[in-house]
Amino acid sequence: MDRNKICKWLKNPGKMAHKYSFHVVYFCTGCGIIEIPPFITARWDAERFGIIPVATPRQASLFLITGYVSTKTLKAIIRTYEQMPEPKYTVALGSCPINGGMYYDSYNTITSLDKYIPVDGYIAGCMPRPEAIFIGVTHLWKLIDMDKADGYQRYREDYVHYRANQEQLYGKMDWPPLFSEENI
Amino acid sequence: MMNELKQKLLSDFNDIEVNIPEDNRMIVSTKKESVLSILIYLKKLGYNHLALVSCNDWIDDNEFELIYIISAYQKNDEQYQDIEKSSIIVKTRISREKAKFITIIDIFENAEPYEREIHEMFGINFEGHPRLTPLMLERNYKIPPFRKDFDTNKYVENTFGKIPSIKERKEGNK
Repeated sequence: MDRNKICKWLKNPGKMAHKYSFHVVYFCTGCGIIEIPPFITARWDAERFGIIPVATPRQASLFLITGYVSTKTLKAIIRTYEQMPEPKYTVALGSCPINGGMYYDSYNTITSLDKYIPVDGYIAGCMPRPEAIFIGVTHLWKLIDMDKADGYQRYREDYVHYRANQEQLYGKMDWPPLFSEENI
Repeated sequence: MMNELKQKLLSDFNDIEVNIPEDNRMIVSTKKESVLSILIYLKKLGYNHLALVSCNDWIDDNEFELIYIISAYQKNDEQYQDIEKSSIIVKTRISREKAKFITIIDIFENAEPYEREIHEMFGINFEGHPRLTPLMLERNYKIPPFRKDFDTNKYVENTFGKIPSIKERKEGNK
């Protein structure tokens, strides 16, 4: 084992614990979910990287948005994201969450996801191979080391704006705001 | 087999057009008044499975076309042996302005979700349907989205395009 790494780990043990034990929400949006079963199971075995799927968002720390997002799914995504405990990271797969992709003119698919929830990273491809997801995860490690994966902090700070965007799309929302003025 | 049925239909109904494009397939074009009686007639002959209800928007003719695809479902009975692979397509046209039609739930119960979907996507009102509530869509549309005069590019520009990014919102508030 590299001795230099020990100092690095001892410097910030909490960060290291976040990095090497991602719990993924088992939540499927769009076509990319077909990449997730081989990604998690024996063929590519995501557990080598400390990634394990969990049943409920209340135990999860990583949210993979796998493909296009319809307006109905976005509602579920927002609810799921708000239920996850902090720190939480979002990674979007494919080109559809960036600008709509091939569904740019669809009547029912939103065009850019980061107007509604913060996204820490995008993985390019349509769909990305499981290897690309691993590369994305290792990039996310680097971002966490550099304190750049701050999506959940941005969500807290700019919650008013995110909520305003969500309400502009849906009209009145079914649930109360996650953060009120006091606990931001 | 299909030719016998064709002769039967032509002798029993007026105002219908029967085509047989290939073996085991028949297209019956009819006026909207006689759709229900044709469906009942065919159901009694053994075509007791409704496979699909579909809709077309012919905007140049100012008409909607409703399409019912029915086939034979029972297979073990000897009586149905020869018709089990055949399917019949019943087509009718209704006016586009007053888009309404009668529900066929009383004949084929599984038409309910199809009619709900057509109501949602094309705005056709099915009289007698127990619940024409939203099935799949989340938002309300002024023009139902599957109609030909629904401009998707314009719609996307006006709804999703007009939502500002978080950066723009922050700068706008300052």
